[in-house]
Amino acid sequence: MLIFVARRVLAVVPVLFGVTLAVFSMLFLVPGDPVKMMLAEFVTNPDQIAQMRAQLHLDEPVIQQYGRFVSNTLRGDLGTSIRSRRPVATEIAENIGSTGQLALASMAVAIGLGIPLGVVAALGRNSWLDVAAMVVALLGVAMPSFWLGLLLIFGLSLHLGWFPATGGGDFHHLVLPAVTLGMIAAAIIARLTRSSMLEVLGQDYVRTARAKGLAWWGVVVRHALKNALIPIVTIFGLQFGNLLAGAVIVETVFSRPGLGRLIVGGILAKDFPLVQGAVLFVAVAYVLINVLVDVAYAFVDPRIRVA
Amino acid sequence: MRPERSWWWLGIVVLAAVGPALPAPMVRAVLAQTGGTLVVGLDQEPPTLDPHASPSAVTYQIIASVTENLLYRGPDGKLVPWLAESWSTSRDGRSVTFKLRRDVKFHDGTPFNADAVKFNFDRIVDPKFKAGGARAALAGYSSSKVLDEFTVQVTFETPYSPFLNAAASGVLSLVSPKAVRETGDQVHTRPVGSGPFMIKEYVAKDHTTMVRNPAYARKAPWSDRSGPAQIETVVWKFIPEAGTRVTTLESGETQGIYLVPAQSLPRLEKNTAVRVEKLPWPGVPRIWLLNVTKPPFDDVRVRRAVNNAVDKEAFLATVYRGTGLKAFAPLTAVMLDDPVLRQAYPFDPEKAKALLSEAGWQLGGDGIRSKGGQRLEIVLNAIEYGGGPDPTAQLIQSSLRDVGIDVKIKAQARPPWYEDNYRCATHGPVMFLRSTDPDGLFALFHSSLVGGNFNWSCVKNAKLDEMLAEGRRESDPARRRAIYLAIEKLAVEEALTVPLIDELAVWAFRTGVQGVKYNFNAYPVLSDTTIRR
Repeated sequence: MLIFVARRVLAVVPVLFGVTLAVFSMLFLVPGDPVKMMLAEFVTNPDQIAQMRAQLHLDEPVIQQYGRFVSNTLRGDLGTSIRSRRPVATEIAENIGSTGQLALASMAVAIGLGIPLGVVAALGRNSWLDVAAMVVALLGVAMPSFWLGLLLIFGLSLHLGWFPATGGGDFHHLVLPAVTLGMIAAAIIARLTRSSMLEVLGQDYVRTARAKGLAWWGVVVRHALKNALIPIVTIFGLQFGNLLAGAVIVETVFSRPGLGRLIVGGILAKDFPLVQGAVLFVAVAYVLINVLVDVAYAFVDPRIRVA
Repeated sequence: MRPERSWWWLGIVVLAAVGPALPAPMVRAVLAQTGGTLVVGLDQEPPTLDPHASPSAVTYQIIASVTENLLYRGPDGKLVPWLAESWSTSRDGRSVTFKLRRDVKFHDGTPFNADAVKFNFDRIVDPKFKAGGARAALAGYSSSKVLDEFTVQVTFETPYSPFLNAAASGVLSLVSPKAVRETGDQVHTRPVGSGPFMIKEYVAKDHTTMVRNPAYARKAPWSDRSGPAQIETVVWKFIPEAGTRVTTLESGETQGIYLVPAQSLPRLEKNTAVRVEKLPWPGVPRIWLLNVTKPPFDDVRVRRAVNNAVDKEAFLATVYRGTGLKAFAPLTAVMLDDPVLRQAYPFDPEKAKALLSEAGWQLGGDGIRSKGGQRLEIVLNAIEYGGGPDPTAQLIQSSLRDVGIDVKIKAQARPPWYEDNYRCATHGPVMFLRSTDPDGLFALFHSSLVGGNFNWSCVKNAKLDEMLAEGRRESDPARRRAIYLAIEKLAVEEALTVPLIDELAVWAFRTGVQGVKYNFNAYPVLSDTTIRR
């Protein structure tokens, strides 16, 4: 087991290396001169441009710049935001809570909605319940989140007045964004649960459990669903990445503070250090969460470790 | 396996499923405002609230009644005293002497005096300070001299009459020197001014709150009463998504919003609980700068033809729908208006066709004109915003196709867009400028600014240069007007640009919100504002 974990963790190293390289290259892949672009809205003289270039170490050889970038990053120094003039790490720290809250809440929505839907659909295979559940799931996948968000605002905020449309902080402000963001993941989880359940329900041990005279519901939950969830665990990790990507849109629609807004604001303000830092953070978080999921997977299903 | 271990995850699933449904109800109570709080939704978060560092209008929308200026300009454009009781320009036009009020204190108790004025202006030109729009407003600044505690003389290297209008503009509003020295970068989120409101709180990506300054005993220049502001608190919420912003106004979550999108305007105008207010932006309208160095735009007949061919009505009917007016000159009508400018280029495709034929461009089989085997092609430089280029570019394209000009839209990201403008590489971009002094035309047309910001017509005209310099020297308002009218007439005559739309700043408030006033910049000043539930 230890060896498995160690192997997974080691495999992350080249991935993280690739991530730093990709994030670092952003500065060079964007057309035009990044310094001129950052200063485009300001009245500048050549001195200020040179000063900014030096401040960002853009006057050094590229290799040296990359080395500095990596070593600073390892020490937790992600540079200074051009727009706010504060450390990027501080900016991220201030916003991670709100996005984390949103990600967890929408994951709860996804699980709470997706798994029951999938189970119901599988149990009533080809019945109207199955069709209805899968139509809901299809809608969830197909509906763009900004559209769903606006619909929810229109219905639940403007007409019914149940929830505020904008802002962050307490639970009420969390509901609409979490539902919006969780819906897509819920749809994917529902479809996966359905197919996984169908497979498991056909297995011998389920038939045996039923033959022993166990209650139908007990068999479904304790024997079938528990095993059916194994592939779904993997999806959690992958969906987490989607949630972070979705946060960019959802946080903007609901005017909620968070990493997504931070990145969008950084892009619009051409704040390179901020965008680089935030993207790097999100990428690393995504990689680490998937490692955790892999390890968790190995616990849930011992066969994985052997493979 | 013990049962409780195999059931825990189901507990989470159930909790997650019913959780969101539980404590939903009391939202209305949360939203309820006390009598004295106004919540206004803005389309963006300011990059900074520091008046000297910001390049962005949203900063001054927020702080228009937080920081104060030496002079004030209301919607009529006239300069009146504010923190300066009087002012006089020296004979050579290089310096202005301000007599200051003696009863002013900044929000932190720091007394306002000549030293404070000098500190503020010196701060803006300090090379170590990254100034925003403020730096251009002090172009050619030489020094400020403290003549006595309440008299300050501001001097420029050359005569610079636009300074007076700049002194009334948010970029040169004054902050407490003590607060800047002691709190440094905090000015970015909490500028300490002297106005009827004080910034109390700044929550990034969410809102900023300002509260009434109880010590404000003066009469603000826009007001007819003395004393503190009427409302207790103003909350500025940052709501970038336009649809969401409009909805919050309709639901009452906000009582005012800025930037009503054109597609929502008819709905809000029909809503009896809402009042829409439209203010003309001062400065340069939405305008196409024609690169006069690039054939066929080196021929004035072609440039004039383009002016006759562009159907501005179509812009108003499609993209702008009530959020703009037809533009006629390189300055918006609120800056300078004259019948001669308005009559210069009526929409007249037939005249455009005649001009093009006269210039030797004959209609070909594909509906596009050509001359000597050369097709009449124009490259319009446009910014790609992610959802396609500026819609005005497409309207220009279809208007010009009707008279036989093939417009290629070069839609690109901002940096190469700027590069192309600096290099005069295309037939010109569509842009706009916010400027409160007609000297904004200097940036547009002075030959020294080809390759810089913003002479993207790439025009080098000695007569224009001379008049633009004269406008900077002249301090008499009537003579200045005559100079800039002459500049505009020349620019129109030479067809250096295609003025498209005078854009309007569109605000909307719940009808319970009364007494919102605006300064010349179209920013709201809120000390006379009241709110009724």
